[in-house]
Amino acid sequence: MERLLAVWIPTLSEEKPDGSSLRSYLEVLDALSVLCPFTEPVRLGLLVLPLRGPSRFFGGEEAVLATVSQSVRDLVGCEPSLGVADGLFCAELAAREGMVVPVGATESFRRAQPISVLGRKDLTTTCRRLGLHTLGAFADLERARVAERFSTPVLALHRVARGEVGEMAGQRDPRITKRLRTLRGEDEVGDEQIGFFGQRGAGDDRAQAAAYRVRNRLGADAVVVASLRGGRVPEDRATLVPFGSPASAAVEDAPWPGQFRAPAPAMTLAHRVAVQLHDETGQQVAMGSRGLLSATPASLLFSSQARRDVIWHAGPWPLVERWWVLNRRRAHLQVVLATGEAVLLVAESGRWWVVGIYD
Amino acid sequence: MFAFSTPRPRLSDDLVATLRPVTLAKSRMLPLGEPWRALAPGGGLRRGSTVLVQAQPGSGGLSLALSLVTEASTLGHWVAVVGVDDPGVVAIADLGVDLRRVLFVPRPRGAWAESAADLLDGVDLLVVRPPSRVTHRVARQLMDRVRERGTVLIALCEPGAPWPLPVDLSFDITHARWATSSRLDARYLTVRVGGRGAAQRSGEHAVVLPNRKGRAAAG
Repeated sequence: MERLLAVWIPTLSEEKPDGSSLRSYLEVLDALSVLCPFTEPVRLGLLVLPLRGPSRFFGGEEAVLATVSQSVRDLVGCEPSLGVADGLFCAELAAREGMVVPVGATESFRRAQPISVLGRKDLTTTCRRLGLHTLGAFADLERARVAERFSTPVLALHRVARGEVGEMAGQRDPRITKRLRTLRGEDEVGDEQIGFFGQRGAGDDRAQAAAYRVRNRLGADAVVVASLRGGRVPEDRATLVPFGSPASAAVEDAPWPGQFRAPAPAMTLAHRVAVQLHDETGQQVAMGSRGLLSATPASLLFSSQARRDVIWHAGPWPLVERWWVLNRRRAHLQVVLATGEAVLLVAESGRWWVVGIYD
Repeated sequence: MFAFSTPRPRLSDDLVATLRPVTLAKSRMLPLGEPWRALAPGGGLRRGSTVLVQAQPGSGGLSLALSLVTEASTLGHWVAVVGVDDPGVVAIADLGVDLRRVLFVPRPRGAWAESAADLLDGVDLLVVRPPSRVTHRVARQLMDRVRERGTVLIALCEPGAPWPLPVDLSFDITHARWATSSRLDARYLTVRVGGRGAAQRSGEHAVVLPNRKGRAAAG
């Protein structure tokens, strides 16, 4: 199995609504491809490159690690987690722990991993009950015994645990290459700004020319276009991307149970503003774990010491999303201030923020 | 006889640039959606005119300005929005604006007037929220350019920093009130319509913006 260097960049592993993580990911890929032309995109946040060639060229594995780490830091601004091992499966595990597995030690590294790294809850539970806690113990089971008890995908995982196969199903994102090609503009995206009956009119060309003039004046990301994507709350559904960047292929057609109903705030803040919510006695209002407010809000305090009385509120509407990865817990609250303004607040990780203004 | 007809004279390039096809008065109007159709003279926005939307911050001025462009944008006209820092994309889509034909310049920094002037050449409607007080000179230049290009300028100002010149049509939000149930339901606005061209329809009108569907409606 080939000795691989896996580059794990946690900040790029999450899809951002504006596609910025994919753009940064492409930049990193391009930069690393200069160091090693065989750099492969695996999935968002994870890249892999064979180590043998570059370590000869740069003079040792240490030198390659330093160079790769430096170039990622320059581009993204954060330290990548690097790992070296044989095969993609072990290389990713090594990268998550930030370790270099010495030559010849991959076998024992893999065998020492907990069974849960295979990412199947049913398998993990059953194996633990059988007293099999490591991949090594699972690998020592006879293939026929595994086949009797588990489904075909687990048989494939058994081969991974034995080291017969270098990578696990689901490690690679099959769409990533295509998405990167689209982002580079190598694949034509059909739905650019269109005129009537799908054809571009003279007005579209004039508008485009004007947009480019403003871009030249103010910078590449001064002119933005908006689109809607799936999501429950207004700030998640809005996508603003610089004019001229390829349109995202995703269209909003899926149902979103629990979606925030109209009216939506006419301003959704790109950078939400931290505020404090107080009750009549001046105590902070907190969101309880059961989705209730600790007290009735009476005033809203901004960091500028500005203070507005709250005359009405609705909610909170708790929202727990993607509990399997992010476990993001939020609660939204609509508030009408004594000035007549209405704002949308969100409570997250123990703080209150203004996310929208109903202007 | 055709053999003797003289070829069409070649026009100089700068003359060609100034030539425009014949347009009827009706096509010089950009359509307005409900409820504004009934309130504006001619039922639309006359190309080359300047519209002022005046409101206290947070009392619906932005929603009103954007609701004026909905009908035109769905009919294929381009819209630019300059100086609105954080556009609420969902609310704009709910109003009925076709997002594929809207250009946003959220933070033009000091160059809002220059950006607006650039965009006037390319779009049919331009919504501007000036980040600072507008000088007489800048307003004059923009309005002249709007008239020349046949664009519609929609300026969004606060009463504290008004547009310095008289405009063709103005919408003044004098009062705003939220109707609430278990959530925010609708906002009832009192809008005073005025301006040079609106004398016969001027007066105060009740408008719901946004209503329960996020759209504008007559009150």
